[in-house]
Amino acid sequence: MKKKVISIMLSAVMAAALLAGCGSSSSTTTTDTSSSETETAAEETASEETTEAAAEAASEAGEEAASDAVAASGDATGKTFAIVVKSAGNPYNEKEIEGFQAVIEAAGGTCVVKEPEAATADAQVSAIQSLISQGVDSISIAANDENALQSALQEAMDAGIQVSCFDSKVNASSRATFVNQAGTQEIGQTLMDAVYDITGGSGQWAILSATSQATNQNAWIDAMKSIAASDEKYADLELVEVAYGDDEPQKSTDQTQALLSNYPDLKVICAPTTVGIAAAAKVLQDQGSSVKLTGLGLPSEMAEYIGDDDAHSCPYMYLWNPIDLGQLAAYTSIALVNGDITGTAGDSFTAGDMGDYTVVEADDGGTEIILGAPFRFDSSNIDEWKDIY
Amino acid sequence: MQKKSIWKKLTASREASLVIVLIVLCAVVSIFSPNFLSPTNIGQIFRNNALIMVMAVGMLCVLLTGGIDISITSILAFSGMTVGMLLKNEILSNTFLLFVIATAIGLGCGILNGVIISKGKVTPIICTMGFMYIWRGLAYVVSNSSWASGSDVAGYSDFGKDGSAGPYVILIVVFVLFFILMKWTKFGRKIYAVGSNAEAARISGINVDRTLTSAYAVMGMLSGLCGALSVAIYASAQPNMQYGKEMDVIAACVIGGASMNGGRGTIVGTFFGALIMAIIAKALPLVGIDSIAQNTVKGVIILAVVILNVVTQRMMDRQNLERREM
Amino acid sequence: MAGKSGRTIQAVPQNSVKKMLLSWEGALVLLFIALNIFNTIISPSYTLTNVLREMPKYLAEIFMLFPMAYILVLGDIDISVGSIVCLSATVACMASNAGLPMVLVFAVGLLVGVACGLVNGIILTRFTELPSMIVTLATQIIFRGIAEISLGSGGSVSLKNIDGFNAIGGKLGKVPYVFFFVMIAAVIFTVILAKCSFGRKLYAIGSNSTAAYYAGVNVQKCRLIVFTLMGLMAGFCAMFLTSALFGANTTTGQGFEMDVIAMAVFGGIATTGGKGNLIGGIISAFIIVLLRIALGQINLNSQLILVIIGALLIIAVLIPGVSSNLRARRKMKTTA
Repeated sequence: MKKKVISIMLSAVMAAALLAGCGSSSSTTTTDTSSSETETAAEETASEETTEAAAEAASEAGEEAASDAVAASGDATGKTFAIVVKSAGNPYNEKEIEGFQAVIEAAGGTCVVKEPEAATADAQVSAIQSLISQGVDSISIAANDENALQSALQEAMDAGIQVSCFDSKVNASSRATFVNQAGTQEIGQTLMDAVYDITGGSGQWAILSATSQATNQNAWIDAMKSIAASDEKYADLELVEVAYGDDEPQKSTDQTQALLSNYPDLKVICAPTTVGIAAAAKVLQDQGSSVKLTGLGLPSEMAEYIGDDDAHSCPYMYLWNPIDLGQLAAYTSIALVNGDITGTAGDSFTAGDMGDYTVVEADDGGTEIILGAPFRFDSSNIDEWKDIY
Repeated sequence: MQKKSIWKKLTASREASLVIVLIVLCAVVSIFSPNFLSPTNIGQIFRNNALIMVMAVGMLCVLLTGGIDISITSILAFSGMTVGMLLKNEILSNTFLLFVIATAIGLGCGILNGVIISKGKVTPIICTMGFMYIWRGLAYVVSNSSWASGSDVAGYSDFGKDGSAGPYVILIVVFVLFFILMKWTKFGRKIYAVGSNAEAARISGINVDRTLTSAYAVMGMLSGLCGALSVAIYASAQPNMQYGKEMDVIAACVIGGASMNGGRGTIVGTFFGALIMAIIAKALPLVGIDSIAQNTVKGVIILAVVILNVVTQRMMDRQNLERREM
Repeated sequence: MAGKSGRTIQAVPQNSVKKMLLSWEGALVLLFIALNIFNTIISPSYTLTNVLREMPKYLAEIFMLFPMAYILVLGDIDISVGSIVCLSATVACMASNAGLPMVLVFAVGLLVGVACGLVNGIILTRFTELPSMIVTLATQIIFRGIAEISLGSGGSVSLKNIDGFNAIGGKLGKVPYVFFFVMIAAVIFTVILAKCSFGRKLYAIGSNSTAAYYAGVNVQKCRLIVFTLMGLMAGFCAMFLTSALFGANTTTGQGFEMDVIAMAVFGGIATTGGKGNLIGGIISAFIIVLLRIALGQINLNSQLILVIIGALLIIAVLIPGVSSNLRARRKMKTTA
């Protein structure tokens, strides 16, 4: 009898926990919709919106005055715009969606969001096929594989859908254009300079990447390698290893610890991946290691580890604003659907209050639109950014 | 005579052969990486693999009954994510209470698994496969597409910080507790009895359904505990955490000599099995194997150890037979 | 994994129409019809053209359902199939890029699959003490690992010449070729399992392998054949998947093993061996695929889709247990 009572109590606790979980999630979704509603209204500036506007203004380095966060460019009424991110359950992707959705809804269009259950090309193919069935007007995708989506995306184009990609590209023949967060060379150069700066110009450094097939990771790593090889300035820097943490905290931890014990003279680890950099930062900071860290990371994940003193493992790191990236992807989709641009180099369009953007030639034979330079996060500004994304 | 009995002892116990495998592994790794057996390194091995080791204990209970549970990492994600969200939204920050909540969630999930398997007569792999999707999905729902990270779990993660005793204490308590439970209490003996021969157990008055349910409840409870522990150790909660690691846990048990047909396996063996898995994970990046080839090497080692197990078992059986013939 | 306590052979085919309607397969047919009506209501895009266009990728998975059903009937399991698909697709793409003619590329893909299946089979039959779960778990890591090594640091390979694979990915009218291939395979595998002595042997082994052994069934030979067949069909799956992806990467085929096992189990094939038939498996495969397509079309959260499939799976396996429980209780009442 006693046992029964206990088990009943336990199941009650669990049910309560379940309800609490559902409750919190549903409450946050309602705030989400309310915020997007206010954004649709566009005149009223909610507190959340002003911070966003401030964030954008800062990231554009004062290029534009802070006005309404979202201003419609062109009309998108009655059109459906789809966004396909890499996978579900990742705040970085969530911020991209947030930006995309806000712009589309402000312009009067319908936004369809696809978050595949796993970060695989297989799952994205199914998502694209489903979008073709629904007859959407445009697809904007962050690809899990550069080439594997070709047949699905070409089928979409044949069906009259405008295809563009953002964040992580697909090959030139399966896209109209690519909304690039920052030029590959630019990121490579920025990270190389960070490594140069933190090491003091000489010494051993290592890279901690995500998976071996992550397209953009590999492009950045290759860019860093070629920059290091081409300039005499970096001759004293020795890249000892490229380790792969598979974007898993546990494996990234193992790999970081292995780097530390294999290379006692290591000075810097560069992790151009959000999961890897957070895991490595924790390892270095917990151990009080003298090895420093830089790379690409989310401010909200890294706030704990950024600082100039010895108690913090990461002096500074870089990233672009994923909300901006999502917004630019949305403006690009609208411009493509309305026929303002076709995705050929030289086309230009107005992305709301983000300013004018021009389509340029990309290295791979296609075209791209570049958001801007990566943004630097250090001890002076991390506190204002950590709550934004 | 003395010599023979030592030899007999060595070959007659599976644990001994595991120790030999462990020693060989450590020796090989030490050649490539001389400071492999340094105290910090050993500490890291246990800390980084505390989750797999703790869950292996629960998996042993389940395997002993002849079942299997592949929903464990989903339970871990669900409970861990709940803890992460409670911290992130500043609802609760008491470390002890959070561990209790996570463990309770796990226990609830485990009981549900157990009841459906025992009362509904559903094959364990299928039932837990269904729940693997369900709990993982709920972890995503709870997370609402956000992560709990460094600053969100700041005070809480001190428990699992490098250098903190937390993970080691949990590890030791779990292993000692279950060593005693499985060896000297009714609970343990019932599980062995049900796993060896459910029919005989039933006839001798054991409530088979309840024993089965309790095995899955223990498994769920430990997975829930690991959810909280995982958030503490990695200072992050993501809905896809530890995805696919259930297979490592099962491999750890089987390497440790647990039979998948039930009834055979010990806590000590499981400890060594999990330790072998831990050393493999730790050593692969250390010995300088190209990172792309590391998975393959891991698979080959698992296969080799498992086959080695069979071969030694066969040798043992043959020796026993010879002895009898003499 | 053979039966422990005198399980009877329940797979003897019965020819009563009434029984068939009341059986699990009959229920599945009804569910199939109901599902289609439901899908048409919830999704305006649920048309024949759209469904047929979305289907090829899922159809490729169904190739593996047939041998997986055999393996489950034996009381074994194979969780390495997703990795076999990955390795086979990888090697075939590389062969194609090396300039081999399409026929040879196809043969290479299938051969890789067969080789992987054979490796599984040989290990399992040489060391019969080893559970198939653990062996295929290790080979799952190894096969994908080999693919990772051959893919190198890029982690992905794409076809330079897509003509050959485009041809197999083609359509006859609106119906993709792969549909016909799946149907042919379905007929062959169903007939062998239901009508041929080989199929009967599989049921015998799954029900009680010791008894089967003493009845003169070469148990290990049967297992070897079945696991090799599994590899072969994984090769087929890889080829048709490649015709949709035009390449392969390290995540190709990830999670397929669970999808396929779920289809089989939903179709009434027990993982304990000796029970179930392929007709149920095939209907249930289409039920799951169509459900995924329709739920995808209404843009339901992808994790929620998995939750629904997981819940359906549990309910499906609960029904037989619960109903037999009820029947037993009613019997007790009437006798009392």
